[in-house]
Amino acid sequence: MFHQPMTFKQALELRSELGADATVINGGTDVVVAMNHGAIKPTCFLDLSGINAIRKIDRDNGHLILGAGVTFAQLGKLHVRTLKEASLSVGGPAIRNMGTIGGNIATASPAGDGCVALLALGADVQLSSKDRGQRWIPLVDYFIDYRKTALADDELIQAVRIPYNPRSRWYKIGKRGAVNISLVCCAVSQNEDKKTQLAFGCVGPIPRTAPKASALLNGETLSAELIDDVANLVAQEVSPIDDQRGSAAYRRAMCSTLTKRLLTQLMEDNPKGDADA
Amino acid sequence: MIQQVTTTESDKAQDAPIAPPDHLVGKSCRRIDGKEKVTGTALYGADLFPNSAELFASVVRSQHAHANITAIDTTKALEVAGVLGVYTHADVGGTNIHGLIRRDHPALASKRVRYLGDAIAVVVAKTERAAKLGRDRVEVSYEPLPVIATMEQAIADGACKLYPEGNVMGDKRIRKGDVELALANSHVVVTDTFFTQTVDHAFLDIEAGTGHWDGQVLTLYVAGQWVHEERRLIALALGLPVEQIRIIQPVTGGAFGGREDISIQIYLGLAALKHQGKTIALRYTRSESMRARHKRHALKIESTFGAKADGTLTAARIVVHSDEGAYASTGIAVMRKAASHATGPYRVPNVEVDVYGVHTNNNPTGAMRGFGACQMAIAYEGMMDRIARALNMDREAFRRKNLIQSGDTVTTGQHVDPVSIGHCLSKAIAKFKERPYPGNDKLPDYMRRGWGMSAICFGLGYGDGFPDCSRARVEMNDDGTATVYTGGVEVGQGLLNTMMQIAGEDLGLPMEHMRIVAADTELTDESGSSSATRQTYFTGNAVRMAASELREQVLDIAGIKLKVHPHEITLQQGWAFETAKPDNRVSIQQICTEGLTRGYSLKATALFKPRTITEVPQTGQSPRAFITYLFGAHVSQVLVNMETGEVKVERHIAAHDVGKAVNPQSVEGQIVGGVAQGLGMALMEEVTYKDGRIMNPGLTDYIIPTIKDLPPVEAIIVEHDDPGGPFGAHGVGEPPLIGAVPAILSAIYDATGKAPCELPMNPERTWRLINDVRENDPLSKVF
Repeated sequence: MFHQPMTFKQALELRSELGADATVINGGTDVVVAMNHGAIKPTCFLDLSGINAIRKIDRDNGHLILGAGVTFAQLGKLHVRTLKEASLSVGGPAIRNMGTIGGNIATASPAGDGCVALLALGADVQLSSKDRGQRWIPLVDYFIDYRKTALADDELIQAVRIPYNPRSRWYKIGKRGAVNISLVCCAVSQNEDKKTQLAFGCVGPIPRTAPKASALLNGETLSAELIDDVANLVAQEVSPIDDQRGSAAYRRAMCSTLTKRLLTQLMEDNPKGDADA
Repeated sequence: MIQQVTTTESDKAQDAPIAPPDHLVGKSCRRIDGKEKVTGTALYGADLFPNSAELFASVVRSQHAHANITAIDTTKALEVAGVLGVYTHADVGGTNIHGLIRRDHPALASKRVRYLGDAIAVVVAKTERAAKLGRDRVEVSYEPLPVIATMEQAIADGACKLYPEGNVMGDKRIRKGDVELALANSHVVVTDTFFTQTVDHAFLDIEAGTGHWDGQVLTLYVAGQWVHEERRLIALALGLPVEQIRIIQPVTGGAFGGREDISIQIYLGLAALKHQGKTIALRYTRSESMRARHKRHALKIESTFGAKADGTLTAARIVVHSDEGAYASTGIAVMRKAASHATGPYRVPNVEVDVYGVHTNNNPTGAMRGFGACQMAIAYEGMMDRIARALNMDREAFRRKNLIQSGDTVTTGQHVDPVSIGHCLSKAIAKFKERPYPGNDKLPDYMRRGWGMSAICFGLGYGDGFPDCSRARVEMNDDGTATVYTGGVEVGQGLLNTMMQIAGEDLGLPMEHMRIVAADTELTDESGSSSATRQTYFTGNAVRMAASELREQVLDIAGIKLKVHPHEITLQQGWAFETAKPDNRVSIQQICTEGLTRGYSLKATALFKPRTITEVPQTGQSPRAFITYLFGAHVSQVLVNMETGEVKVERHIAAHDVGKAVNPQSVEGQIVGGVAQGLGMALMEEVTYKDGRIMNPGLTDYIIPTIKDLPPVEAIIVEHDDPGGPFGAHGVGEPPLIGAVPAILSAIYDATGKAPCELPMNPERTWRLINDVRENDPLSKVF
């Protein structure tokens, strides 16, 4: 069965009715690939691509509300630097035209570039259900374990909320220039009261933050010494593994290196801590 | 494959002036297969499916990298709805064995499996889905054997033997002069060990095709690289006479040596023989393609070179271990090519080379663009940079001091003339210096720029006394067009245009009047393989010889018509005319119509068969190991992130002596493609194994370059007529890849100050090099 609701309300009704039996799909850049590889064999689809309401980006009281159906191509035009650059580092143009931020969050891959950028931005995610209504939870609480999330079987991801104008940076190490899976990626953002968040991809079962290291930064003015301390702490805090894409040792070292590099950029580009123009 | 360009009649009006001469050799004539490929109408192997498939086949493969087979039970597979048959070794009528040099590879394993790609059974069903379901239901019982995962394990005492004679497949050597003494008397002696990786061909067009048996002829539409040899191998394995097998090459999307070994042909043939009258289709997935196919040899190269204080090379001692995987494939020839190219285009008076091929339970290794010469260039060019640094000499000056010159000998003792390596290097470096080198001035402290160079040589053809020949036929048709018939395979490299342009040049015909039939065992004569950079030289010569003879036949008839001696006639743009009186003319079409009516054959065949000489086994010396040598030089500029190890190639210049560029645009295409593939080998591509299992059998994790990784390649065509080549041409296929890899490594050395010795230099490996972090290094660990 292939269900293609035209409103989010209809989608929630179908989700409530079908539950986990329906594979939710939007751009299909994860689902279709998994099907082609034989990793999943769905018999029922709930396709959200007909719902225009979730394809919008709204501004709300110092925040941006990104609909779950917003594509990486759309995000690539945003001014929020870490999310813009992360989005432009995803796949190639065809993937970015189809792949959505909601899908990236739903897939919950540790290599989900969009998720890492959103974590650094301190994003909240809106989960909605027909019977239980809407709830906002911090994205950091959404990821539970490898491909395990807080999303219930009757819920759909409706939107993501990020601060409107943070200062932020992004860096991704991969093995080539495009269509490139992260070996390690790092996002950092700092809001107006100098609350700073670090997030990393491919260094554990889920996209993750570094709360201890981030805590060192909070409210502090960036300095070379502080940055060194934070970078060292990051290396202790992350828990990467060896896999065939790269070793734990390299990834651990890179978390530290990228932390230092991105924080230094934040410090040097804008020593007074103003928001990005 | 039959290609033709529609003849235009308008230019044949009797009163129209004859168009000026149009020399096809040296002209970038539009690819005759280009339009179909660009517009998507060309039919590749997988495109034959919807058109003609009636039944579908699927291949059962081993679940173990090394095991004895104790039982094969097909009962449950046969119960699957739609499955019509399951065939094992017991159903194969012939020897059930293939292999290009040694026949050692069972088509369907009966007693033992030696790698995870080994095939055990073929399932035939009404749908592809049923065939795959049936495949998964075939029950094979195994008695596992110890898996030989690395060369080190293979040669360890008491190692499980893949073959009764042991795990060392063979060896090749060079002995020249007194290396011991020369090293003792050298001012510097430099030693290093290089590890090259296992590489996949990663051609776009995954193995796919059809087979049909009508009771008389087994017809296979399958892309290979040498249809006539494939026919012989299929005939032996299946027990059919060769004349009952016809192979037709569909349009083919890349080969790079990856289609030299038998792939799906025998499975399709077996299935077709069991289902007379039905067209059977078989296609691999990318994953199956990578798991089944042979790979480029991973080599461990231990190099020691000595030099005098003035930079003159004195001696080289080189020991190579080559991972041959489970079966021989073309390994023996790759080892030989590695030995004979161990010191490249350099004068080294004293040389010892020992190459050992070692069997493991990894995929068989065989032909891939560069064929042993590629890996050795990484080592000898790496050594040139190291010695230059040890002597504190300029890298270019040091190379120039030692490069061979016309009349010098290469390592095998063969005199080479002309030698254009110095000229190629000059051209490449001059091109590099046309633009100012930005250096490190404006870079942040964690970025470093570097540039490097390479100089390489390549012996063309099979060489070493292996029979190597091409046949060709050229015929005039009664519409005034000419058709070239060649067994040579177009795999994307431009063979069709090359052969048509060579023949058209001699016949004075415009490209629009040329046709070609290629790679059909029924219609064409054997032209050897599309490999070893040999088709332009070998088949090109055969086509030229046939076209020249045909030209004489045309001139004879023209002489009668024009009442002048054939010597006084010019063939141009489809006309024959008296050179001194162009108005006295007759169209080629009229010559053909009348000539054929009067019983002239107007066809010519030719055999081109130059001989090479087998090396003396003890010394590796041969006065003519290869028919001719090709030369090339590259310059590469890279930017290295010293913190992350990321490497970006900013510029890449490649100068190649091709003798004569028959189609310059095609030659440039080959150079650019070779550089792209070389960049992949230098920086990204690596098949990783764990206990014989490929861990990255797909393009998600087998990383090949994208257009974003490739700088605009600056290709330089160098032309020194090859005295033995058609119109002076010799070829270009493999050398661009061979030159690209060491030039990029040389640039990384320049940027980082650390000499790379392991491939690929992906971010992690480059980071390890910069930081001297060697532990856990996969390549060091496996050997």
